[in-house]
Amino acid sequence: MTARFSTPATLTATRTIGRGLEAAPILRDGLAVTWLLAAIGAGGRVVVPILVQQIIDKAIIGQGDVRMGLVGTFAAIAVAAIAIAGVAQRQAMVRLGTRSEQALYDLRGRLIRHIHQLSLHDHSEEHRGALVSRVTSDIETLTQFFAWGGLAWLINGTLIVVVAGVMIAYDWVLALVAFAVAAPLVIVLRLVQRRLVEAYGEARERNSDMLAGVSELVSGAETVRAYGAGPSIATTTKGLVKERRRANVRTGVIGAFLFPSGEVFSALTVAAVVGVGVARGPGSGVTAGAMVGFVFLTYRFLEPVAEFTEVLEQTQTAVAGLRRIIGILDVPVGPPPPADPVPLPEGALALDIADVTFAYPARGEDVLEQPVLRDVSVHIPAGQHVALVGATGSGKTTLGRLVARFADPTEGEIRLGGVPLPLVDNDELRTRLVVVGQEPFLFDESIAINVGFARPGSSLDDIDAVIRRLDLDDWVASLPDGIDTRVGERGEQLSAGERQLVALLRADLAGSDVLVLDEATSSVDALTEVRTSRALDHLARGRTTISIAHRLSTAARADRVLVVDAGRVVQDGTHAELLRDEDGVYGRLYEAWVAATATDGAPDSGSVDVDTEWQRSVDSDDPAVH
Amino acid sequence: MPIDEDAGRLTRLRAGVALVRTMMRLHPRQFTIAVAGASLFALCTVASSAVLRRVVDRVIVPRFEDGDVAGGTTIAALSLVVAVGVMRAAAVVVRRVWATMGVFLVSETLSTDVVDRLVVQPLPWHARRADGDLVARAGVDVDAAVAVLAPVPFAIGTVVLLAVSGIWLIVVDPVLGLVAVAVFPVLFAVNLVYERKVAHHYDEAQDHLGRFSAWVHESFEGVQLVKAFGAERRESERLATVAGSLRDARVKAIRIRALFETLLEVIPSLATVALVSVGAMRLQAGAVTVGELSSVVFLFSLLVFPLRIIGYALAELPHSAAGWQRVRDVVDEPIVADPVDAIAAPGADIALSLVDVEFGFTDTPVLHAATISVGRSRFVAVVGATGAGKTTLAELSVGLVAPRHGVVEVDPDDVLIVFQEAFLFSGTLRHNLSLGLSLSDEELWHALSLAAADDFARRLPDGLDTVVGERGVSLSGGQRQRVALARAIVRRPALLVLDDVTSALDPATESTVLANLRDALGGMTVLMVASRPSTIALADEVVFLTGGTIAAHGTHGELMRTQPEYRGLVEAFEADRERVEEPA
Repeated sequence: MTARFSTPATLTATRTIGRGLEAAPILRDGLAVTWLLAAIGAGGRVVVPILVQQIIDKAIIGQGDVRMGLVGTFAAIAVAAIAIAGVAQRQAMVRLGTRSEQALYDLRGRLIRHIHQLSLHDHSEEHRGALVSRVTSDIETLTQFFAWGGLAWLINGTLIVVVAGVMIAYDWVLALVAFAVAAPLVIVLRLVQRRLVEAYGEARERNSDMLAGVSELVSGAETVRAYGAGPSIATTTKGLVKERRRANVRTGVIGAFLFPSGEVFSALTVAAVVGVGVARGPGSGVTAGAMVGFVFLTYRFLEPVAEFTEVLEQTQTAVAGLRRIIGILDVPVGPPPPADPVPLPEGALALDIADVTFAYPARGEDVLEQPVLRDVSVHIPAGQHVALVGATGSGKTTLGRLVARFADPTEGEIRLGGVPLPLVDNDELRTRLVVVGQEPFLFDESIAINVGFARPGSSLDDIDAVIRRLDLDDWVASLPDGIDTRVGERGEQLSAGERQLVALLRADLAGSDVLVLDEATSSVDALTEVRTSRALDHLARGRTTISIAHRLSTAARADRVLVVDAGRVVQDGTHAELLRDEDGVYGRLYEAWVAATATDGAPDSGSVDVDTEWQRSVDSDDPAVH
Repeated sequence: MPIDEDAGRLTRLRAGVALVRTMMRLHPRQFTIAVAGASLFALCTVASSAVLRRVVDRVIVPRFEDGDVAGGTTIAALSLVVAVGVMRAAAVVVRRVWATMGVFLVSETLSTDVVDRLVVQPLPWHARRADGDLVARAGVDVDAAVAVLAPVPFAIGTVVLLAVSGIWLIVVDPVLGLVAVAVFPVLFAVNLVYERKVAHHYDEAQDHLGRFSAWVHESFEGVQLVKAFGAERRESERLATVAGSLRDARVKAIRIRALFETLLEVIPSLATVALVSVGAMRLQAGAVTVGELSSVVFLFSLLVFPLRIIGYALAELPHSAAGWQRVRDVVDEPIVADPVDAIAAPGADIALSLVDVEFGFTDTPVLHAATISVGRSRFVAVVGATGAGKTTLAELSVGLVAPRHGVVEVDPDDVLIVFQEAFLFSGTLRHNLSLGLSLSDEELWHALSLAAADDFARRLPDGLDTVVGERGVSLSGGQRQRVALARAIVRRPALLVLDDVTSALDPATESTVLANLRDALGGMTVLMVASRPSTIALADEVVFLTGGTIAAHGTHGELMRTQPEYRGLVEAFEADRERVEEPA
């Protein structure tokens, strides 16, 4: 995970919770009422101590001499109070539970919308796990918190206040004694709890180390087998399992001291209260019933404190989760939507790239890396098919992304049909301009559903029509279930080239005016390659098309070729024109490509001289070949 | 039917108890100490009630009703309060420390067992299972299996507590004792009903959560597509439906929980009121003292929470049993025969021989009637359209899979494959190259240079000790592929199988690497799945696959002459190029 997705540690717990409430305002709704209900519910827990005190003081005159009528009255009042408190507590729990679930539902939705709008740069593969876990496991920490910890805070928090109130009402001196003796518990708990949080973090890390180790052993099973690395990998992984156990046991041991410390303080506090009460004697106004009541109340007072320590860890986890969620909400979304959108003109659209420079933000810092594109200016008339050609890292893919407005230029401007891209409404842009990515994403559904994604509500006939239009009926017919063939997870049942065919079908179904195509780099078998070129020819007709070409056959067929080198457009012309400059970048790229695709056995190797420098070097290096 | 249902539940409960015992027996010492701690806690709890009785009867009542009490009596009674409190705390520490050790030792044992199996089982076994599922067996399934263990010592202690307390309460006063003891089964039953009712909703919520996670993952993975078609809103709405089901299931669970939590709070409180009322009558009758009444009420209040622990443990049982079963599925499964064992060594001068080999998972074989013989030191290209069986041929040749029919002959100790997708382990470059072997820097650098990987490797910040992969320097696809090649080269196999490896390299690098293999490693046989004409051109002979069988085996020239289909495939690139050049 990069620093970009972790939040500055400066966000304090209070501030984090504040931001969380801002993000999910429903949590605040009626919080006061919930609190009041919880307080009434907490009141139910002091009924028994008060009852014991009242009966000892008022109903029991001596052994064998009890006012049973008074006992009956007190018992009836107690039953009523317990019933009322019970109803209130249930209401408080339901209110908190339903509101928190609604809040988490809202937060999930908000996060998903926000993440979808993040720039593609933030969606790189290495960030994906982090992004997914924000919406799933990090929100789950909040769910856990609301289900247990949140409830404990709400009920126990009020319970402590209520119990303390009753203690003070009985006798403020004894109450103060109780508070003073119990106070150091808070310090002890804080100390232990801090270590516990550290240990817990460590355990989490060891846990993910272990999972990563096992995961590697599984996903690399082929390599492990083929290279006999089993024993060595097993030893490493078992080491990780052991480390995880150690970290977990450490956490458990620290935790084991946390809860019982409340126990010790309870005993000390009871002893102190009884000691002081007995020393002061009846003269102080304290009664025997109040003394016994105090003993009960002291336990009730410290019980929630101890319970707090149990939920503190959960609370810390939840705050950390919330902090990460807010961290994502704070990552600025990709290109911002226009405040006042300008509609695009009807029909085919020309494209203007004016003095465009672009640099990616550096990892985890607010500075930019070296520009990938510098001062690029190109005018592409409506309907023209332009191929962008260049070595890996030349900036051609980035230029394609800028045209598709997956990012905005650092400097300069791109205009579509004369309208600067930042002024075009996103929905309109996405219907008028379609992008076919290098690694098109396919859902684990049929070909038809995958193609249909491009235009919701399209019929099977519409899909059949585009298949015929792009001359791909023979390909679809060759699939086991034709148009209904399931493509598997990420389309793994298809080859990379075939996945791109699906993407081309999508692009045609979308019926856009501008097409940006990033060709697949991975090797594509010849037949698929031919189909791709054929489909692209049909697709480019009448559309302004920008192909980021990895195969020069695509460039050769385009109306115009732009050669990108080190972030600049260095050559601009038709394929034939550019080939005339033999020393040009294009000439060299073309030669290498021809060499790679030529077969000596072919009877007529075409008009291009295949006996290139590269081919000669192979021959001279190794006389055994040919 | 209720009888059957109860019988079923009893069977499940028995199975659950057996499961807990089986797991605890893996590390019995820890659990014995933990149970001893929990039992001590039970005794201390009853003792604390006895101490309260003493404090009330001998200190508080005399002082406030009769006017005086001896200092020594007070100090003795209060010392007992503190001593019992400290003992109770110590018992908790003992129970928790050893229970934690026990639980995590069991989890370590189970995870280790799974890891051992994952390493031993051969590839065909792995191929039938999803990666994520196998990782879950060693991770979350183990966690689920041991989850039931954590509350077990406390639950056993609670049984002791209930027994001792019940006896104590009846000894103090039979009437009060019976009132208190009568409430236990009620509370226990409420607990059980609650756990059962709520479990269904939690399970449902868990299913929704799983689906939601999978959809979110898919949606973010396909974000470029979502953006390209402006489908953000559509996607959000789609995900919102699952998130909504998740919320609804949880709200249902919360409503049930709120009711039961309240009942579990209210019932003991009402029972206490009954205890106090009956206690007043017993006082009236002179059967108990104020201290005895207080101690009964006090002890009763201490029993309410532990009682819930038994409920928790029982609620965890089905979940744990499922996790345990999934762990055992992997650990108990017999080890599948290793395909390598079925391979015999080939004759002299032969590097690889396949005779009438057939392979497949279904009735339609992926490869059938495959017979080839490859001589030593030959460079052989395997050519065919997508799905022709090239990768299968490669995997058969190195014994990663076994033919279901026919004979494969190759020296299993001297053959290596480099896969289409280079897999690098997280760790250093050195670790990735050596994978457990001890190899000198010189050997490693030599292999890197033969794989044309030395240039970029030299530029890495820590050279061979640079951490690569997710947590270190990320390498490009071509760079990863060259590292994988070097990993194979450094082992100098007699037969090297390359599954479309060099297509990730540019043509110039590819030719350099292949030339290196020929020159520097004299005598190595190379079987390479190839699609580029330029790669095919570098081979001595070509095996042409079509529709899962070997259609032809000969030189490129021969195949171009005699196999129109082969010619069509290889020329497709050129045909494509010519098509565009005609108008030019």
